[in-house]
Amino acid sequence: MPVVQLYLDRLQKLVGKKSNNNKILSKIPFLGLDIEEQTKEYLRVEYSPNRPDYATDFGIALGLQGLLGIKKGMPKLSIKKGNYSLKVDSSVQKIRPYVTSIVAKNGILDDETIQQLISLQEDLHFGIGRRRKKTSIGIHDLERIVFPIKYTTVTKNHKFVPLDSSNDSSITEILEKTEVGQQYGSILNNSSKVPIILDAAGNTISFPPIINSALTKVSTKTKNLLIEVTATEKNAAEDTLAVLATTLQAAGFQLFSVTISGANNSTPLLKPRKIILSAELVNNILGLNLSSSMIANSLRKCRIDAVAKTNKISCIIPRFRFDIFGPMDLVEEVVLGYGIENLKPSLPPSISVGQKNDITKVLDSLSLIMIGLGYTEALNSSLVSNKIQYELTNRSNSEVIQVVESKSLEHTILRDAIMPGLLENLSKNVHEQYPQKLFEIGTVFLKANPIREDTHLAGISAHKDTNFSEIKSILQSSLKIGFNIECETKTSSHPIFSEGRMANILVNNKIVGVLGEIDSKVIDNFKIRVPVTAFEIQLSGLIFD
Amino acid sequence: MAEAKRFSRYTRNEKTFLRLGKNGLDAKNNGLPERKLVNEIQEGPKSFEEIRNVLKSDFNAAIANAKKNDWIQIEKGESSSKISLKGKALPSPEEKLIDFLGAEEKLLNDIEDIDALTLLKKRPDFITENFTKFKTISLSEKAKDIDVDSSTGAIDVEAKVPVTYVARIHPLKETINEIREIFVSLGFSEVLGNLAQPSFWNFDALFTPQDHPAREMQDTFYLKDMKASKFATSTQINQVSRSHKKGWRYDWNMSEAQRMALRTHTTCVTIKHLADNKPDESRIFSLGRVFRNEKVSYKHLAEFNQVEGVVIGKNVTLRDLMGLQEEFYRRIGLTKIKFWPTFFPYTEPSLQSMVYNDRLGKWIELFGMGIFRPEVTKPLGITKPVLAWGGGIERIAMLKYGLDDVREFYNNNLNWLRSATKCQ
Repeated sequence: MPVVQLYLDRLQKLVGKKSNNNKILSKIPFLGLDIEEQTKEYLRVEYSPNRPDYATDFGIALGLQGLLGIKKGMPKLSIKKGNYSLKVDSSVQKIRPYVTSIVAKNGILDDETIQQLISLQEDLHFGIGRRRKKTSIGIHDLERIVFPIKYTTVTKNHKFVPLDSSNDSSITEILEKTEVGQQYGSILNNSSKVPIILDAAGNTISFPPIINSALTKVSTKTKNLLIEVTATEKNAAEDTLAVLATTLQAAGFQLFSVTISGANNSTPLLKPRKIILSAELVNNILGLNLSSSMIANSLRKCRIDAVAKTNKISCIIPRFRFDIFGPMDLVEEVVLGYGIENLKPSLPPSISVGQKNDITKVLDSLSLIMIGLGYTEALNSSLVSNKIQYELTNRSNSEVIQVVESKSLEHTILRDAIMPGLLENLSKNVHEQYPQKLFEIGTVFLKANPIREDTHLAGISAHKDTNFSEIKSILQSSLKIGFNIECETKTSSHPIFSEGRMANILVNNKIVGVLGEIDSKVIDNFKIRVPVTAFEIQLSGLIFD
Repeated sequence: MAEAKRFSRYTRNEKTFLRLGKNGLDAKNNGLPERKLVNEIQEGPKSFEEIRNVLKSDFNAAIANAKKNDWIQIEKGESSSKISLKGKALPSPEEKLIDFLGAEEKLLNDIEDIDALTLLKKRPDFITENFTKFKTISLSEKAKDIDVDSSTGAIDVEAKVPVTYVARIHPLKETINEIREIFVSLGFSEVLGNLAQPSFWNFDALFTPQDHPAREMQDTFYLKDMKASKFATSTQINQVSRSHKKGWRYDWNMSEAQRMALRTHTTCVTIKHLADNKPDESRIFSLGRVFRNEKVSYKHLAEFNQVEGVVIGKNVTLRDLMGLQEEFYRRIGLTKIKFWPTFFPYTEPSLQSMVYNDRLGKWIELFGMGIFRPEVTKPLGITKPVLAWGGGIERIAMLKYGLDDVREFYNNNLNWLRSATKCQ
C-alpha cells in the first residue's frame, strides 16, 4: 500500500482555521488512512490504491474538511478558458493514441509541495497508469514552452536534452542507456517511431511515457505549469488529469484549459457525473433507517454533492472520484459521512446449523490417533526448495511443479511428498531430546491436466533403536484403529530408504504409500546422528473420496 | 533434592576423547611424510628433484620434520642438493603417538606425550577431539547412615522427577481448530477448495482487472506453464468478462484467466461455491493455506492460513457483519474492538476491525470485511447481498502464544512444540 508523509502544521493550515491537530488526528483513520508512524511534526499514513487523490496532503485536507464539517459537498473545478492549444498528429494512433492537458497558473511551489506532487505522480503512474503503460504524466514549466504544441511521433534518431542531463541524447540512447529508458522502454513495443511532444519553436517538451526534457524542468521558482497526460485509453487519461487538476487547485493554482484537437482527441471537460441513490438501498444494506436528507448530508461530508428528494438522493460525483462505480459505492460514502462509530453492531440469529467438512472430520480423527501413538504434529510449507525435496533426499522427479519468479529460495517448487520436510525438521532439532517422533498431514501436488492435489500423512521416528518393525507397527495401528483398514507391506526399493529395509504399503492390492528405514546417506545429508524410520501414505481415495 | 538434603554428592566433569582424523589414519597406514622420505633414501642419497617427484605436496613437511628428528643431512652440490640418511631413523614421538591411538578413541588423560600431541594437532585433520560432559552422583556419608523404612516402603515424595514430553497437536493447528469450531457454532458450514486455482476464480470472478498490479508476478505465485482448461461454465465466463469490459474498459483475455496460480486468498473458494450453488440464504466458511510472493520476514510468510466466512441472505446488513465480527472476537477472548474504513477490490462497503492488544499496548489490525460488490455478484447470478469477512490466522495465533516472529509456527522447533502452553 502506498504511503504519504503529512506535516501536521501544513495539514492544519490546509484544512482551515476551525481545525486543530487533535481533531485532525481523530479523523484520519475514518478517511481509510492507516497511521504507520507518528511524531510531533509529521505522520506517515498508508492510503488505499483506489484513492490516488489521497497521495498528497492537499487531497487529504479536502477529505478532512468534509468529515470535520468545515467544507462540505463537491470541490468544484474552476477551469478558465486558456489561450493554449495542442494538436495531435494521427501517427500517434498506433502507438499511444491519447493525450490530455491543462494549465495551472499563479501557484507557489515550495520544496514540500514539489515532493507531494512527485509522490502523487508516482502513485498515478503505478496505479491507474499501470506502471506508465496505460497513462503517464508530464509536469512542465509553462514559461519555457511556445504554443501551439504538438503531440506526434519521431524516429529514434531524434535528439533532445532529457531531464537531469546537460547533453543531447537520441531516443535510442535514452532507451538503452538511462534507467527510465530501460525500465519503461518495453511499453513502446520496439516501435520504429516513438511518441513526442514538441512546441512551436521545435523544442522537445516530453518523450512519453519515458522522460521529460530538461528544458521545462520545474523548480521552486516555477509559478505556472503545463500538465500533460498521454494514454492508451481516453477515460483513464482524463481520470488521471482530474486528480492532478483537483490537487493543483487545492494547492492554490488557477486552472486554464488547453484546446486539444486531432486524431479523435478532444479538450477535456472533466465534468462530474450524476447518480441517483435510493434511500431504501442505503437503509437495507446498512441496517439503518436514515431519512433522505440525513443520507444527503452524510454524502456531502464525503465531498459529494447530494440533494435529498422523497426516497431518493440525487448525487453529483466529481470526476476525480473514478473509484465510484455505482450506487453501492455511494452506500460506503454514506457510512463514512454518517460515521462508522455511530453504527451499532447487531447479531442476527442463524437460520442454519453449522458443520465441519467431512474430510476435515476424518483428518482430525487421524491426527488424534497419531498423537495417541506418541507423534507430535509438525507443519511445513507446501512450497519448498529443490534442495530439501530432492537433492538431500536422493530423489528425482521430471515432473516438478515450479512457481514463477519466487522471491525466496526456500519456496520455489510445490512438494510431491511430505517426508523430506519432516527430515528437515529433525535436522533442525538434533540438539533436542530423543526419541523424536513427528507427523504431518498436508497437501501434495502432482502434474495432471493441469494439477492434482492429494492429502498425505507422513510419520517419522528418530532415536537410536528405531527400526522397520516400529514404523510398520505405527502405520498398521493408525489405519486399523482409525479406519479398520488392513494394510500389507511388500518389499521394493526407493532412494530415500535403505535397500532391503523398505516396502510399499498396499491396501486391497493397491500401492498407497511407502515406509522403511531412511538410508544412511540421506541421514548424513540432513546431519542427523541417529537412525530414522518413516512412512508416507496417500489419504485421498483411502479414508475419504 | 537429594543433594539439597546433603545425602548425595554431585560433581560435574568433562572428558576429552581423541581419535585420528582422516590424514592421521592415512599416516597410520602409509607413514608420515618424513617417514616416506626416509624410505626413499634407504638405498642411498637422492636429489631434491627426485624426492619432490615422489612426495609432491608433502615434500616441504617431510624435509622440515625429518631435519627436526635429525634423520637426514643435506649436501649442497653444484647443480643440485642431495639428501642422505644420517643414521638409523628411530620412530619419532609423533609416530609413537599415532601407533598408540590406532583406530580407537582414546581418553586425553591416557596420553603421556603431550608435546607429541601438540605437534600432531598442528597438522590438519590428524586429530579430532570430542568432549563429553558428565555428572557423577555418589552417596554422602550422611546418606549411608539413613535407614529406609522397610515396613512402609516410604520414599522421598518431594524429590524432583525427569520431564515427560507429551505428543501434541501443533499450537497453530490448535488455533485453527478453535476458529473452525467458532464458525461452526455460529451456524457456518465448511467448504474446501484447491490450493492451486485458475486466475479466473482467484481474480477475474472477484472483479480484479487483468492488468491490476496485484495480479503481477511480484505478488502472486503463478505455476510455470500451467493453464486450466475447464474451470467455469461458459455463462460464468461470458458474464464475468462482460462485467470487466464494462467496469474497467479493457479487452478481457481468456488465456490470462486460465493461468494457474496458488490462491492468494480463500475467497476464490467461497465465490465459486456461491456461483455454483446460488443459495438464497446460507452461512459458509472456508479455511486453509493461501500464498503471497513476499520476502519472508518476522512479519510475512509466503504461505499462511486464512479463514473467511460468508453470509448470504435477503435481509443481511453491514451491522450484522459487524455484530458477527464482534461475537467471533468475543469467543476467542478479544473484547476491545473497533471498526475503520478500508478498501478491498471486491467488497463495498469495506471495513477493517482493529483489536486492542494489552501485551503490545496498541490497536492492531485483524480481519477485513465487506459486502461483495454488485460487479462481483451480478455476473455470477448471485442476487442476494453477501457479507464476507476474514483474515490471516497466524496473526491471531501470534497474539495467543505471545510470539513476535510469525516464522516460529513453521520452524517446528521441538523445544517450543513440546513446551508451549496448550490452554492460553
